[in-house]
Amino acid sequence: MVASSANILQSKADHCGDVGVQYVVDIVNLSKSFQRNSRSKGSYTTVKSALLGLFNRGSYDRSPRQITRAIKDLTMRIPKGSSIGLIGRNGSGKSTFLKLVTGIYKPTTGSVAVAGRVAALIELGAGFHPDFTGRENLILAGVMHGLTREQVAERFDKIVAFAELEDVIDDPVRTYSSGMFMRLGFSVAVHTDPDILLVDEVLAVGDAGFVAKCKDRIAELRKEGKTLILVTHDLESVERWCDEAIWLHEGEVKDRGYPRRVIDAYRHFVEKGEEEAILETERHVPAQTHPELGGAVETKVEAARWGSREVEITAVQITGADASERRVYHPNDSMRISISYQVHTAQSDLVFGIGIHRADGLNVFGTNTSIDRVELPALISSGRIDCVIDRLGLLDGSYVLDVAAHRADGYPFDYHKAAVHFSIRSDNRVVGVISPERSWLVDSQEVGRCA
Amino acid sequence: MRVVLSELWRARTLIDALVRRHIATRYRGSLFGFLWSFLNPLCLMAVYTLVFSHYMRVAGGPNYHILVFSGLLPWIWSTSALHEGTASLVSSGHLITKSMFPAHVLPCVSVLASMVHFILALPILVIFMYFAGVPVTATWLLLPLIVFLHGLFLLGSVLGLSALNVFYRDVQHLLANILTFVFFLCPVVYPRTNIPERARFWIELNPLALVTEFYQMVLVEGVLPPLGALIYFAVAAIATLALGVAIHQRNREQFAEAL
Repeated sequence: MVASSANILQSKADHCGDVGVQYVVDIVNLSKSFQRNSRSKGSYTTVKSALLGLFNRGSYDRSPRQITRAIKDLTMRIPKGSSIGLIGRNGSGKSTFLKLVTGIYKPTTGSVAVAGRVAALIELGAGFHPDFTGRENLILAGVMHGLTREQVAERFDKIVAFAELEDVIDDPVRTYSSGMFMRLGFSVAVHTDPDILLVDEVLAVGDAGFVAKCKDRIAELRKEGKTLILVTHDLESVERWCDEAIWLHEGEVKDRGYPRRVIDAYRHFVEKGEEEAILETERHVPAQTHPELGGAVETKVEAARWGSREVEITAVQITGADASERRVYHPNDSMRISISYQVHTAQSDLVFGIGIHRADGLNVFGTNTSIDRVELPALISSGRIDCVIDRLGLLDGSYVLDVAAHRADGYPFDYHKAAVHFSIRSDNRVVGVISPERSWLVDSQEVGRCA
Repeated sequence: MRVVLSELWRARTLIDALVRRHIATRYRGSLFGFLWSFLNPLCLMAVYTLVFSHYMRVAGGPNYHILVFSGLLPWIWSTSALHEGTASLVSSGHLITKSMFPAHVLPCVSVLASMVHFILALPILVIFMYFAGVPVTATWLLLPLIVFLHGLFLLGSVLGLSALNVFYRDVQHLLANILTFVFFLCPVVYPRTNIPERARFWIELNPLALVTEFYQMVLVEGVLPPLGALIYFAVAAIATLALGVAIHQRNREQFAEAL
C-alpha cells in the first residue's frame, strides 16, 4: 500500500515517464461539457422544433444555450493495482468521470486511455429481463460483460453460489426481491475477470452479510492486482479500501492523496458549507426549516423569546475548542456556550439555564445553575457567563439550544427558545441520541475503547 | 463501414445471445408460443385472399394465396425489423447509458431476430405449395443470396434510422405511416403483372418492392430474377448499408447523452 502510494506521488511529480509503474487509466486534459438547449423541454428535440430552429435563426441564437462543464481539464493517471476512492458532493462530476472512463460518454476535449477490461458496476442488473429466469439472465449478462458462453457456463455455479440464489435461479427475475436482483448483477460483474473495476455507489446491495462478502470479493480482486475505482459517499469505506482518494469539486480535482488527509479536508469543507447554511437560516428568523447535508429537515422547535427583561440576554455564542464560533461539531468535541447578559435590576436569586433539543423536538438535555448547585456571585451591570461541555457525546443530527435567565421559582427574565442552531456530524454508526465514552473488555481485558 | 462490421463480428456472441432472448421474449407467456410466427402471416394471408381474390376480384389465379404468402413473409420481416430496429436504441436506452454496451448491436439484433422468424415460417409456405401442387424448384438455391442482400438492406436502414430516432423521436412514428403506404406499392397483395407498364420502373426502384418480386419468382414461380435487377438490388443494399453505418457512426458518441 505504501509502495503504491509512493508511486502515485512519484507519478504526480514526474508525469512524463517513470519506469516501473504501469498505468491502466491515463487521462490527459479531459473536459466534458453538456449542452442543454433551453428551448426544448426534454433532452431531445423533434423534427418540428429543429425546423423551427432553422427558420428562426435569430431567436435560436438568442436563446441561451446552457453549457454545463461537468469535467474541467482533468489530467491524471491511475497506476495498475491501485485503489482509488472518488469523493465529492452531488454534481461534482464523479459519475460523469466514471462514464468517461467506461467510454459511455465521449470526451469533449482531451483523451482517456484505458488499458484492460473494465467492469462497471454503475447499475446492477441493467439489461435483466423480468420474464426470464435468473439462469437465462445470468448467461446473457455474462456475455454482455464480454465472456464467451463457455466461460459463463464454467463460472455459472460460482456466480450463483456467490449471489446465494441457488434455490431461485430458475425462477423469473420478476419474482426476485430487489436485493436478490442486485446480488445477481453484482455477482456476475465481479466474476468476469475485469482488470479495472468501477464501482458507483452500489455496495449497498443486500444485507450486511452480503455486503461483507462483496467487500471480500473486491479485496480478492485487489490482491490479484486489479485496479479499483470506487465512487461513494461512504467516506469510511474510502478510508478502509483505497490507497488514494481523489476529491472532485465542480469538475476539478480539488485534492488528491492519502485518503485520511483528503477525507478530512473534504469533511471540513462540507461542514463549513453546512455551517454557512445554518448561519444563513438563523439570519432569516423564524428558522423553521434547517438545511442539512441530506436535504431540509423541519425544525419543530420554533424560535421564541419572552420574559420581563429585568435581566436581559444580549448575545449567545457557541464556540469549539479552538475558541472560534462554530455550528458543526463532532460528538467528541467540546462546546462552550457563552451567554452575555445585562442586569437592569439587581436580582438575588438569578438563575441561568441551558437546554438542548433535537430538531424534531426531543428534549436532549437541560440544566441550570440552580440544578447544578452553582453559587453565582452577585451579578450587576453586564458580563458573560459560560458553560463548557467537555464532550458533547451527541449523535449525528440537528440541534437547537435554548438559553434562559430566570428566577429560581421559574419567573422568566429573558427566555430564548432556539437561540442557536447547531449540528453534530460524524461517521459514527451508533444509533440513538447519545454516544457515551465506553470501552469493551474481554475477561476484564480491555479490547476496545470508543467514544 | 469496415469498423462497424468488424465490431459486429466481434460482438457475435452477444448478438447471438440477444437474438435468442429476443425470439424467446416475443412469445414468452403465450399459449401457442412459437406458433404465432406462423399464425400471424397465415391470418393475414387469409384476410387478403378473401378480400382481394374473392370479394374484389382484382387478383386471380388459383394460387393467389401462395403468392400472397410468399410476399407477406419477407414483408413481415422487413416491417418488424424496421419498426423494432428503429426504436431499438431508444427502447433499450438504459443499456447504452448505464453500461458499456455497443449500441450498433441493438438494430442488428432486431434484423436478425425477425429474420429467424421469417426463415422458420418458410416450411409453412412449402406445405401450402405442396397442397396446391406448386413444385419447389432449384431456384430456391438462390434464396440465401436474396436473404443476405435483403438483410444488408434492412441492417443499413435500421442503423441509420435508429440513430436518427435518438434525436428525433418522430422518425419511428413517421416510419409506421410510410410503411403502410409502401406496403401497397409492393406487389404483395396483387400480382406484379397488375402494375401498369409506365409505373413499373418507378415501383421497382423501391428495393422493398423489388425484393418482394424476387421472393415470389424464386420461391413460387421457379424463375430466376433478371440479373440486372439483382445487381441493382445488391448495389442498393450495400449503398444503404454504407449510408446507415455512416449516419450511425457520426452520431454514436452522442447516444448516451441524448438518451
